[in-house]
Amino acid sequence: MMAQLQALLQWTSESAPILFVRDSKYGMPAVQSFHLIGITVFLATIFVLALRLAGVGMMDWSLPSLQRQLRPWATAALTLVLLSGFLIFLGTPSKYLASNPFRFKMAVLGLAILFQFGVVRRVVRAETGSRLARRHLAVAGISLTLWFLVGWAGRAIAFVP
Amino acid sequence: MSLLAWCQWLEHSAPALAISESIWLFPFIEGSHILALPVSVGMIMLFDLRLLGLAFRGGAASSIVDEILRWSKFGFTVMFITGGLLFMSQAGKAYGNSFFRAKLIFLLMLGINAAVYQAVFYPKMAQWDSAGRAPFGARLCAALSLIVWIAVIVCGRTMAYQL
Repeated sequence: MMAQLQALLQWTSESAPILFVRDSKYGMPAVQSFHLIGITVFLATIFVLALRLAGVGMMDWSLPSLQRQLRPWATAALTLVLLSGFLIFLGTPSKYLASNPFRFKMAVLGLAILFQFGVVRRVVRAETGSRLARRHLAVAGISLTLWFLVGWAGRAIAFVP
Repeated sequence: MSLLAWCQWLEHSAPALAISESIWLFPFIEGSHILALPVSVGMIMLFDLRLLGLAFRGGAASSIVDEILRWSKFGFTVMFITGGLLFMSQAGKAYGNSFFRAKLIFLLMLGINAAVYQAVFYPKMAQWDSAGRAPFGARLCAALSLIVWIAVIVCGRTMAYQL
């Protein structure tokens, strides 16, 4: 199973479109730029929602309505990040699989997604009042920490083996 | 002293060398520069989307503008400090980098664009706020801002491949 998966990965990473992205002069910078534009918008939506959860910003909006407004852009941006990220990965899969920061990044990414869709979404929907303020603050803090940790781990791939 | 000579002098100054020769300082500054993007540019992009009627449709633009500007100021402060330090540590190489030059021109355009918005449309926001749709000029400012910020990100990412 593992061997077949690796063979598939190898085969895909040697396909013409992936080689074009990897080896053309502006292929990788372009895909990396898409990745970064997606990160910019996605983390901005995470940040705005966290401000509201923590009770320090966007207080004119109720949590559910703010989340409804942000969701289409968060979804679109996260899709862009994941797709461009997968393309970058396929350029040199063996390099990324051997990289410690990359493995760490994928683990934290998994946690961040689970936390966002499991905990944050539930807390946002169940908003009832100031009684929950302390829990909201903790949820905002964990969400921000997880997502920005994914970003830092991503940056570390370039510097740490 | 020519600009190029100044850039080369800057790159070889003691603080610049301290950054480029440290194994953790440069990555830390560069990482901070990139992770401040959402808190600065990302926030502005969300506000641009509101002006264009593509986000936060349920509420008045003025109910988010002050919040967004307040938090993005924090992000932009980090952005300019880290960006200045990164430039310093590679000034000589950045001088000849066409993507860096384009990035600076785009940043200047964005500054002018923001000043125009601040002077012309911001004071009258309360008037058109509840009308639902921003005036054409304000929407033009927002569209320009979105497009040129994307260009800045592309230039910033691409220049790193050529340093």
